[in-house]
Amino acid sequence: MSAGDVLAILRGAVVTVTLSLTGILIGLPIGLGLAVLRWADVPIVARIVAVYVSILRATPLVTLLLLLFFALPNIGIAIGPISAAILALVMNTAAFNCEVWRASLMNFPRDQYEAAQSVGMSAPLRFRRIVLPQIARTSLPGLVNEMSLLIKVTPVLAVVGVVDITRAAVRIGAETYDPLPPFLVAVALYAPIVFALVSLQRWIERRQLKAEAMA
Amino acid sequence: MTGRVLDVAGVSKRFGALEVLSDISFQVEKGETVCVLGPSGSGKSTLLRCINWLERPDAGQIYLNGTQIGVNGAGLVMSDRELSRIRTRIGMVFQHFALWPHLTVLQNLMEAPVQVQKRPRAEVRDEALALLAKVGLSDKRDSFPAKLSGGQKQRVGIARALAMRPDLLLFDEPTSALDPELVGEVLVVMRELAHEGMTMVVVTHEMGFARDAATRILFLDRGRVVETAMPERFFSSPETERARQFIQRYAGHAANGGR
Amino acid sequence: MIHDFGIVWGERDLLLTGLGNTTILSVLSAAAALLIGFVLTPALMSKQRWLAGAVRGFVDGMRCVPFLLFAYIVYYGLPSLGIRLDNWTSGLVALTIYNAAYMAEILRGAWTSQPREPIEAGVAFGFSNIALFRRIVLPPLLLAAGPVIGNQIIQIIKDSAFLTIIALPELTHAASSIQSRHYVPFAAFITAVFLYWGLCLVIEAGVSSIDRLAAARR
Repeated sequence: MSAGDVLAILRGAVVTVTLSLTGILIGLPIGLGLAVLRWADVPIVARIVAVYVSILRATPLVTLLLLLFFALPNIGIAIGPISAAILALVMNTAAFNCEVWRASLMNFPRDQYEAAQSVGMSAPLRFRRIVLPQIARTSLPGLVNEMSLLIKVTPVLAVVGVVDITRAAVRIGAETYDPLPPFLVAVALYAPIVFALVSLQRWIERRQLKAEAMA
Repeated sequence: MTGRVLDVAGVSKRFGALEVLSDISFQVEKGETVCVLGPSGSGKSTLLRCINWLERPDAGQIYLNGTQIGVNGAGLVMSDRELSRIRTRIGMVFQHFALWPHLTVLQNLMEAPVQVQKRPRAEVRDEALALLAKVGLSDKRDSFPAKLSGGQKQRVGIARALAMRPDLLLFDEPTSALDPELVGEVLVVMRELAHEGMTMVVVTHEMGFARDAATRILFLDRGRVVETAMPERFFSSPETERARQFIQRYAGHAANGGR
Repeated sequence: MIHDFGIVWGERDLLLTGLGNTTILSVLSAAAALLIGFVLTPALMSKQRWLAGAVRGFVDGMRCVPFLLFAYIVYYGLPSLGIRLDNWTSGLVALTIYNAAYMAEILRGAWTSQPREPIEAGVAFGFSNIALFRRIVLPPLLLAAGPVIGNQIIQIIKDSAFLTIIALPELTHAASSIQSRHYVPFAAFITAVFLYWGLCLVIEAGVSSIDRLAAARR
């Protein structure tokens, strides 16, 4: 494995991180929206969201990705590997995040909400200033956990030709007939990212526990 | 030795640098109710747990009806199976009840007699139902422990221990975890057992019970047997200063005793 | 579109075989992972520092590595070290080892939240070794850990789909095969999605039953 090979894998790492971040950034607010729709129990829509989340959480990412990549062009929507990857990541992330947000919403103390109502706050204002800041805090560990899980499924993007860490490693392995070293380099790149996220999650949880203890 | 159920000789135990029990010796005859009293940290619970080798004594010997506990005939430390056999003859009632949460009340009573003592199911069941009636909980036989009050749980705990037909019953602060109004229902059962001639060793803070139901008081302080006497003598004219201080501190409790 | 589903229906044998393989693979590796987990968990909590440290390293390591990469390494990388496994064995081995780490962590979490006293009561009443484990320790542990183990099984089902990359004939592979031969991607993959969904609903039903048992005893 040459330096050029390592560089290729690093370039793949950039792609991995970029796509993951995009998926997370878009999926996070969508997940919140879905959670709110279920929490507010909007008729019909809430049920659709529940079914959507249930199906998405049961679907392997690789299957979803293949579905989007092959099926969308088939019904007339042209889509390249990168777009399919982002769409799959977003759909997946939104569904999983929805459950995290929903748990926070369901545990949200009802009386705070009623207090906001009684001082005449409008619904959007109530949500923006009272509910959101607090559920953002309680959801944080769960969301970071989902992020670390997301990073761990990004290798699947290689399946549709996105040149992320995994595909770069596979290609080098195929060229050099020595697959083990590039894979190990790939692991060496993934592991710290995931480990950093997991450590971040534990740190957040510890800090929140301390804050609660002092309150 | 025919009437002697328990013989504790020279038992010592340390946890790290701390000597929790120092050279404890006492005997319990059949039908006796021995109450072990003492301030916190005096080693009362540890002593109890050494009797059935839940804690392993560092020194000393313990005999149940003449058979040594923990060390077998060959002088070697007993295997789990040998220990298990002896333990089936000693019943234990725990401070936090320790009922098995996945089993109903009736199943809790039947579990050890059937699985460990290998007694026939039908016989065990009949006896268990009788014991539940005795402690006043027949209607709870199919309930799960989580649905019971503290007092009810402890009464089940006592019935469960009795279901093993033990030679000796150990009580580890049986009412300490109970709300005050629930203590009475448990003490009633314990008093009745003492009255019926069950051999019992009870670690407790309930001075009233100790004064009324005990045949002997064992007073422990900092890991040593400081005084041992009949309850009337112990409470009215303790010999040692430590015992006197202890009784004075609990004078309020003793005065309110007699539940 | 109906025509497409007709084609998929015509290939139902392949899909059902794929579904069967996914199920067998998932169930086998879940069971094996759980069993290995039962061995790893006491090691994880062992007082022997080297043992606990080694297992902790393994568990944390598996949780930081993407499964697909791990599967690649087992199938493509091991031959470099002289170990050549076929795709079925690789897949099973990869799924099992990977999830054994997660199961160990799950069991450890469930174990530490169990109260000690009922187990001590078991010892005091003469239960020892196997009987103690089987009748006193295990039932409450499984009742508590049931939902989390159920989630992990669902995760295993989804991870099994990754094995399509090593040409293991599981469900996603079957759907891919149908779509590449008949050009019916939507019908093929949507059917696969619904089959996965069905599998997960079965697992979730099982988890609900366990949760009902647990709730009665809470």
